Amino acid sequence: MKNLNIINLTKGETFLHQLSGTTKVRLFAVLMVYVMMSFDLPIILPLFVFSIISIISLKPHWKTIQPLIFFVVFLNVLNIVLYWLANPLCGLEYTGDQTILFAYTDYLIVTRGTLWFLSIRLLKMLTAFSTSLAFIMSITPSELAAGLTNIGFPYKLGSIVEIAFRYIPDISRDYENIAVSMQCRGLELDAKKTKPIERLKQMVIILIPLIVTSFDRVGNISNAMDLRGFGKGKKRSYYSEYPERRNDKIFKLIYCLIALFCAYYIISGFITPRVPKMWIYWRCL
Amino acid sequence: MSKSPIVEFKDFTFKYKSQLEPTLKNINLTIYEGEKVLILGPSGCGKSTLANCINGLIPFSYPGEIHGSCKIAGNETSHSSIFSLSSVVGTVLQDSDAQFVGLSVGGDIAYALENDNMPREEMLPRVLNSATLVGMQEFLEHVPYNLSGGQKQRVSLAGIMHEHVKILLFDEPLAALDPQMGNQAIDLIDKIQKNNNCTVIIIEHRLEDVLYRPVDRIILLEDGQIIADMKPNELLCSNIIVEKGIREPLYLQALKMAGCNVTIDDNPSNIFDIKLDKYKEKLVSYYSNVDTSKPYKEKKVVLNVKNVDFSYDKNKALDNVSFSINKGDKIAVIGKNGAGKSTMAKLICGILRPDKGEVHLEGVNYLNYSIKELGQKIGYVMQNPNQMLVKDIIKDEVSLGLVLNNKSEEEIEKNIEEALKKCDLWPMRNWPVSVVSYGQKKRVTIASILAMNPEIIILDEPTAGQDYRVYTEIMSFLEKLNKDFGITILFITHDMHLAIEYTDRAIVFADGKCIGDDSVFKILSDNDIIERASLKQTSLYSLATRLGINPESFIESFIVSERRKRHEKS
Repeated sequence: MKNLNIINLTKGETFLHQLSGTTKVRLFAVLMVYVMMSFDLPIILPLFVFSIISIISLKPHWKTIQPLIFFVVFLNVLNIVLYWLANPLCGLEYTGDQTILFAYTDYLIVTRGTLWFLSIRLLKMLTAFSTSLAFIMSITPSELAAGLTNIGFPYKLGSIVEIAFRYIPDISRDYENIAVSMQCRGLELDAKKTKPIERLKQMVIILIPLIVTSFDRVGNISNAMDLRGFGKGKKRSYYSEYPERRNDKIFKLIYCLIALFCAYYIISGFITPRVPKMWIYWRCL
Repeated sequence: MSKSPIVEFKDFTFKYKSQLEPTLKNINLTIYEGEKVLILGPSGCGKSTLANCINGLIPFSYPGEIHGSCKIAGNETSHSSIFSLSSVVGTVLQDSDAQFVGLSVGGDIAYALENDNMPREEMLPRVLNSATLVGMQEFLEHVPYNLSGGQKQRVSLAGIMHEHVKILLFDEPLAALDPQMGNQAIDLIDKIQKNNNCTVIIIEHRLEDVLYRPVDRIILLEDGQIIADMKPNELLCSNIIVEKGIREPLYLQALKMAGCNVTIDDNPSNIFDIKLDKYKEKLVSYYSNVDTSKPYKEKKVVLNVKNVDFSYDKNKALDNVSFSINKGDKIAVIGKNGAGKSTMAKLICGILRPDKGEVHLEGVNYLNYSIKELGQKIGYVMQNPNQMLVKDIIKDEVSLGLVLNNKSEEEIEKNIEEALKKCDLWPMRNWPVSVVSYGQKKRVTIASILAMNPEIIILDEPTAGQDYRVYTEIMSFLEKLNKDFGITILFITHDMHLAIEYTDRAIVFADGKCIGDDSVFKILSDNDIIERASLKQTSLYSLATRLGINPESFIESFIVSERRKRHEKS
């Protein structure tokens, strides 16, 4: 049976894999705040570097994640281009720099400030992506469920995530089987031979039996869960959640410090609104 | 030794909220501590409902009207909760796939403990302990997708054994297992009952397979009522099981056919214990006089598979497979899950194409046909009819394949009328698909394939999970199609009864190789093949060995005379 290779169902061997689910979820939550709170290069760049190192340290299966990386980078570049098209002078507010590098028409101009602002924006989005990717690759769905519960979400939410991951491969197997039988009956799924709209219609034909059989399964699953006492108490423990180890304690210190820093940064920003700092580094170059 | 009752039904009646008639009527049943009870009955007799009353799903998940009383370990179920019941009753559901809610073997076994909010350190030794009981201790880190049905079932069993449950309830434990695994499961249940001294309730309709290990009592249900509550030996000697549509063990069928009147004293509940001395002569003389010669029929090859190899990525799924199929054949394709049966079926249908080797359809290399064209020559019927049914109305469902193939309107009309008539569905052609029974749904899917006028029909486990009545309905219908219209049929199955009763030839797969291709009786008397394909010896084989006669000719004689008898009846 196919396994989802980006998401591991069993705990991996590397340093980050071995951290407990709670540590991973907390660290990730703090880092997301960290990356979103500013446009400051000295804040974003170190995280970007660390997240790339983390991804490499997780020894990923490059062939599986490559398409995802290409896709996300492509989308983000597209986003930046559209952002520029919508307002070619968008960098002015942040950098105060108006030096024109290229001018295609009166409207479509590239200024140094805009180029700088958009590059940082791109870096920020890529950092958010690479951090998320490292998080997703390092955590198993059961650890995620345990981690979510430990940071205060109701455990039923975590269980939904877990159950979803459990049955996605089963449903995709059902889909394949149904597709096979429909193809034998003359359904054309070959992209070259049918128009997109026709294909969409034919996909619907496959979906009907898939939904019917999945509903049958849902009933069975919920019975199985009831019979083993799911929802019995207010709290629930997790088999997959390792007790806190030395590395978890070190990381606890790290994410607490980062969280404190974020709090300071955001609160001080409210008290004395700060001028976006990115221009300083621009002037230094 | 006086035993205390653990399950007590008194004048118990239950009606589902959505139904007009009660499903269980006036049940009076007492099961004592430490007993092993088989609840037997055809589909729809209420045996699953009875199980759900014991484990608390009724009334917890399925509301309805209850009259009378049902006490489990002294507590009235309608006053207790499903959670308190689940610490007394452990249930293993029929669908071991759906029951596997954890993401790893260890996680699934720990599921009930997690819900009890037990600290992890306490959980670990218990999980290991339960896993060891069912022999899964090596697999704790495994994900469910690579486990066999039998292994998943063991995990489910381990997952309910923490709380020192008093009752183990098995809902159709054999439905999803191949024959050898089925035996292992029954054996494991027996061992655990002996070790833990708990009460075991098995719900099944496969009488012979459950009796592989002794049970104390058999309770027969029909239409929501208990119609028999007897010891296995008594039940087997009465005629009640045959009348109520339960399949009799094969060896008893063989004995009865030879005119032997088996009595309770002969201990008929197990093939190895039954006293045969006084019947030996009768049996031997009856079966040696069966005329097994067959009228010569000229055979025309329709499909020829030659030296075919196929691999998924790097895993070889088919390895140098060759066989041929003649027009009008009824063939059983057998082997355990993952042996290459389904890959072979997909390959014949053209969904997959061979890496090496050739497939010829009526002499033409089938690479010349597209999947669509092949679909009109070779039909594939899936195991679960719900996975095939797309349209609301029977007629539309049957015409779907023809519409997709852009046939003319007259041709469609003509073909579906023919197909519906062949399947006895013509009067029902305007009925909605959702209201018909399982057996009828199966017929609809077969009709929708027949409408395309295929040369060969491949049926994947046509009777899986069905009771003897539906099984007989589906199989005799298929037999008629084969006999009256000369349609070639391939059954992918691991049901040995099906192979014996309805097919002439068996092709056996193991590890991607075709390890046997011969008459059913020859395959079933070949120990080596049976072992490699994870099949099991039929009780006919054991009977022949005990009588000291040649199993091959005995099974052949049995098959011939059984069919003759069936045809006389119909």
